[in-house]
Amino acid sequence: MSIFRLGDQTPPEARRVNDAVVMRFEHVYEVEPSLMELTGQQHLPAWDTRRIVDSRLDHLAWMHDHFADEVLLAGEESETT
Amino acid sequence: MSVAFKSAVDDHVLDELRAIVGDDDRVLGNLSSRVNRTRVPAPFPVHRWADHMPDVAVLPRTAQEVSEIVKLANRLRIPVVPRAGGTGLADGAVPLRGGILVDVKLMNRIGEIDLVDRTVTVGPGINMLKLNEELKRHGVFYPDDPASYPCSLVGGRIGAGGWSLLGARFGHTRENVVSMEVVLPTGEIAQIGDGGGRKLRKSSTALNLKQLFTGHQGTLGICTEATLELAPRPETEFAAFFAFDEYAKAWETTGRLAKSGLATLAGVVLFDEWKIAYLRRDDEAYIEQPPSVRAVVAVAMYGRRVEVEPASRVVMALGRSAGGKYLGDEISAGDWASRHDRYAIPLHGRSVEGQAVPMSWHCEDAALNYSVLPQVREQWHAIVARYRERYGIFDDWGMFAYTNGPYKPWADYLVEIDVGIWEQKLDEENWAAWVACKREIAEVTLAHGGSITACHGATRAGDAELVPAEMGSAWPVVKAIKRALDPNNVMNPGKQSLDEAYEDET
Repeated sequence: MSIFRLGDQTPPEARRVNDAVVMRFEHVYEVEPSLMELTGQQHLPAWDTRRIVDSRLDHLAWMHDHFADEVLLAGEESETT
Repeated sequence: MSVAFKSAVDDHVLDELRAIVGDDDRVLGNLSSRVNRTRVPAPFPVHRWADHMPDVAVLPRTAQEVSEIVKLANRLRIPVVPRAGGTGLADGAVPLRGGILVDVKLMNRIGEIDLVDRTVTVGPGINMLKLNEELKRHGVFYPDDPASYPCSLVGGRIGAGGWSLLGARFGHTRENVVSMEVVLPTGEIAQIGDGGGRKLRKSSTALNLKQLFTGHQGTLGICTEATLELAPRPETEFAAFFAFDEYAKAWETTGRLAKSGLATLAGVVLFDEWKIAYLRRDDEAYIEQPPSVRAVVAVAMYGRRVEVEPASRVVMALGRSAGGKYLGDEISAGDWASRHDRYAIPLHGRSVEGQAVPMSWHCEDAALNYSVLPQVREQWHAIVARYRERYGIFDDWGMFAYTNGPYKPWADYLVEIDVGIWEQKLDEENWAAWVACKREIAEVTLAHGGSITACHGATRAGDAELVPAEMGSAWPVVKAIKRALDPNNVMNPGKQSLDEAYEDET
């Protein structure tokens, strides 16, 4: 169980991924802020981003369950990273 | 002979509709009900929204009600447009001439589940995800799996002639509809199948009408009940994604996998470098990859574990046989699961200057043979680049090619180029530019021996006017069938150039 601490809710500093993208959380791409002049950036507290990411994983597991009883994996790491 | 055009649905017609359904709440003439049943996710001329609104929406519950509505429409020459989930990627469910929109969402009952002869009978308003949640406890499933799996409905799948992600293994919508009840354009109710039996998969009696009544884009009638295939629920799923440093290697690997002869193979997908570049800049869920990743091949299998497990080893070897690198378990399982629900795609793209802007998503689809995929890809991207440069409201979101033949994945592909469109900028000039862009893409398809749509339908300007050219010597046959079944052209008029069926009448 996680404990809500107000001070933890500010997203971490962005890390540049490429010219068009920054990243604050693992697997959460964000458009580079200087490219958001025409469309305003929506600011989310950290808990909300984590909730959305967790929901995404729940959704994928739920979707798998619609099509088969089990998911067989190769059991191998990525060869590109 | 007169034919139906833009209608005048007056109070008298509304009264007749209320008398047919016996419930005022299911005859919706108010503005919001009509506005919300006007467009679909395909790009839409938002500056001319009112041109496409139905005059009234009706929500029937029975085939008899649908029949009476269609008979009324014939008597008064009012267009009828069937609509199910409204999730199509072309304009099958979009009224072109107003009229009565028949919304089948309330016809969502699950009827007989026959576990002996392996069928389930449903109303056209049921969603596949919901249906399969009910079927799961019986150890069976209905294997029609579009990218709109959580939101599209059986009736729309039948009308559009849908394509399934699992088509190589289980067939597409056509193969999985065993028979159906259809209200014909003149209002009669007909049982349509393979021969006369409601639960037969193969017959040689008379004409095979089932093929005719799947994929007509709502121009030949309204399905009011469908008897569907029940497949054994798969025990095991296996998915694997492979990365490539150049498209040619990925294309070669796609061919090897599709021709592997593995019976559990459900599909193979080829993503090109434009698609990877798009995901790399605009997909919030993208998992970081090095710049050397320029194309990706995905493959999925379903079946019993005793089949899938040894086959997975063959897939892993084939995936690497032309330089592919496995992308790991997380991407393979997660990205495959997301394929069932692509309507959650990022709805933003880039202006010519690179600024993020809200965009709607358009998939221009075609059916093409494996041999021509590289050439078509180059030409399609060149077309979109030219229009993007000139008009500044389009963005190239990349292409994919997906095995297309039901049970026979080795030869032809559903090919799509995803194009972002900045709808807020649409006006007459920009909409005309989009239509011209679509037409050029479709012309490339025809020049390479393809079909201008594998599953979305050729229902709007940019596609529709090319239907006669694609059909060639069969076009007079198509027109004769349409005119024979729909003598007043009331059933979804204006689609697929079928108005030509009435031009030579005196």
